[in-house]
Amino acid sequence: MKSHSAWGTSKSLVKFRIPTSDNLVPIRLDIEIDGQRFRDAFTWNPSDPDSEVVVFAKRTVKDLKLPPAFVTQIAQSIQTQLTEFRSYEGQDMYTGERVVPIKLDLRVNHTLIKDHFLWELNNFESDPEEFARNFCKDMGIEDPEVGPAIAIAIREQLYEIAVQSVTSAKESRISKKGRRAGEFYSASKTGGNAVDLVKLFGNKSSVIRKRKEWDVYEPIVDLLSNEEVDALEAKEERNIR
Amino acid sequence: MATGNKSPSTPIPESSAAKPISDASTPTITIDLTPPSDSTPGAITTTSAAAASASNSITAPNSIATTTTTTATATSTSNSTARPHSEQLSSDADIIHIPSYSRWFAWNSVHECEVRFVPEFFDGRSPSKNPRVYKYYRNAIIRRFRENPAKKITFTEVRKTIVGDVGSIRRIFDFLEAWGLINYTGSSKPQLKWEEKESKLAAAALQGGDAAGGSGTNVTISKSKLCSNCKGVCSFACFASDKHDMTLCARCYVRGSYRDSSEFKRVEISEEAKTDWTDKETLQLLEAIMHYGDDWKKVAEHVGGRSEKECVTHFVNLPFGEQFDGPPESAELDTALSSQNLSRPTKRMCPSPLTDLSHPIMAQAAFLSTLVGVDVAEVAARAALTALSALGDGKLKESFKISSGAAKQQESDIASNSDDPNSMEGDLAEARLQLEKEDEELEKAISGIAVQTKEIEDKIVQFEEFDLQMERKRQQLQQLLNLLFVDQFTLSLHKTPAQQKAGESVGEGVKAD
Repeated sequence: MKSHSAWGTSKSLVKFRIPTSDNLVPIRLDIEIDGQRFRDAFTWNPSDPDSEVVVFAKRTVKDLKLPPAFVTQIAQSIQTQLTEFRSYEGQDMYTGERVVPIKLDLRVNHTLIKDHFLWELNNFESDPEEFARNFCKDMGIEDPEVGPAIAIAIREQLYEIAVQSVTSAKESRISKKGRRAGEFYSASKTGGNAVDLVKLFGNKSSVIRKRKEWDVYEPIVDLLSNEEVDALEAKEERNIR
Repeated sequence: MATGNKSPSTPIPESSAAKPISDASTPTITIDLTPPSDSTPGAITTTSAAAASASNSITAPNSIATTTTTTATATSTSNSTARPHSEQLSSDADIIHIPSYSRWFAWNSVHECEVRFVPEFFDGRSPSKNPRVYKYYRNAIIRRFRENPAKKITFTEVRKTIVGDVGSIRRIFDFLEAWGLINYTGSSKPQLKWEEKESKLAAAALQGGDAAGGSGTNVTISKSKLCSNCKGVCSFACFASDKHDMTLCARCYVRGSYRDSSEFKRVEISEEAKTDWTDKETLQLLEAIMHYGDDWKKVAEHVGGRSEKECVTHFVNLPFGEQFDGPPESAELDTALSSQNLSRPTKRMCPSPLTDLSHPIMAQAAFLSTLVGVDVAEVAARAALTALSALGDGKLKESFKISSGAAKQQESDIASNSDDPNSMEGDLAEARLQLEKEDEELEKAISGIAVQTKEIEDKIVQFEEFDLQMERKRQQLQQLLNLLFVDQFTLSLHKTPAQQKAGESVGEGVKAD
């Protein structure tokens, strides 16, 4: 394990996809028309036909009784995010044994969640939805909207990382510095996120975390009262504006 | 997008429905079907189904806190049986209604029509879409709806709370909604035509004789479809497209050049199915026919609200049998028609158009009339009429037997050339009375049986409680026994050393002395 480099051996080129068991795209909507704000986030299956987008937009507007001007906006927003995703689709990305830290810091209705854990990027069988379901079950979260929010947050971060690895793959090909240097290059560029397994496990060869790191990695779930929720919302709005 | 199959093979003929009822009542929640349509003559649960389900619920006590009450209304035309099952979770008895064509639903399994309608989860194309995931989504959606069954749940609420991709969730949601497992509050929901067809097929599959007249649908079907283009009422067929959320009448569809003809589904609308014939309307129809005979225009006017075609189709589909509690109508009708039959011999040679439709009465009457000759048949008809009017309109239950019995009697009488109207009348009246008596006795017996079974059920419940109490007492007794034993044991233990000591001290005392 000591001489095993985290990057070197199993570096292969794979077609771009979200590194989870199902290739779903996280979509985030934040639309404002006439002072009415609509924020939402969900996962989309990119293999659905495009007509689905309009159907979904109409359905959402109807269910939430939003003014019909939202329909086109929603549909457009979804479409742009989808096309962006698709633009990456043909390209290659590197996968290696990379373990990345994922941070959760979100507020859903009355629940505040903070968490920090490691996720293996190489595992194409991983399932953020499953993780989210288990999280809610273990932490006894009753609000059913939290699960999807967690899954989406994880997916978004994975998506970003995947995108980064695509760009790095492109760059390393452009920079014709030979193979080894290329590896280093990409390693240093994208390695900022990843955790060096060698360093972690190398010395003590124990899998248990050091005690002082325990509270960093512990999940925190807070239930907020109404006033706190309002205060937080006001702060968020101010930040955004 | 799940392509809604236009006319799928009927998933479940009613005859096999008895099985899924017991399957569907899994330990967790028993839901049940009640077609809450108000006064449809002959709703889906007709007498045979009711009897079957009654026997099921009484003999199969798999209930964990389900109380089944069956009210079998065997004879009357109007209402269907309701079997409310109480949900075990909530304290008050919630009744979940689902249409009977969805009774295949079970929490733990996937039925074949689900595989058909939502195939993406079952064809193994994508690894994350498998039956387990499908079941999870489906059960989550249904559970969420049932938390508040009075309120229709929207897709957006659902998808916010379920972890997964929204496209598949939407498809499952649509599927469940179309099949009435969600948001089925029985009110005017526009349904697809294939649903009506299926329920009709199911009704037809029951027994020919008892088939509900015309529209035995178990869902109060919607208003007419409006074309979104020309805003006219779609009459025969309309083209519905979910993708563009439009409904077009046939004309607009043909005229406009709509791309992707595959998006549009042809939806047949038959006038009959849109509205149910109430008893009152049927009565009016019969009266009108009696008065106006062949003049369907006048009949349609008399009935009010029905076109000629509807009247004709409905009349043609009427079963002349047990369904009708208004005996004078049908008997008179038969005779009236047969007399009409005769008065226009040139038009109606045998076989008359009515006999083609396999009404036993009509066939018999027409056959007899041709057999016997015009004049004799007229006389017989008149005699029957006078007999009826003489007896007045009591509670005569008209049945096939009566008419055929009367017809047969008439035939035999005529054949034997005894032209005695009085005896015929008497015979007719006697036969009718007997039948009536039998019917009444039957009803009493049935209700008696129902009452008895109810009593027995109650007694069983009481005995169970007693048993439970006895068991408890027994256990207490056992505990007391155990304690007693322990006491005895310790006592005996203490006794023996005490005795020894006593012995010693005595011995010592003796020695000392």
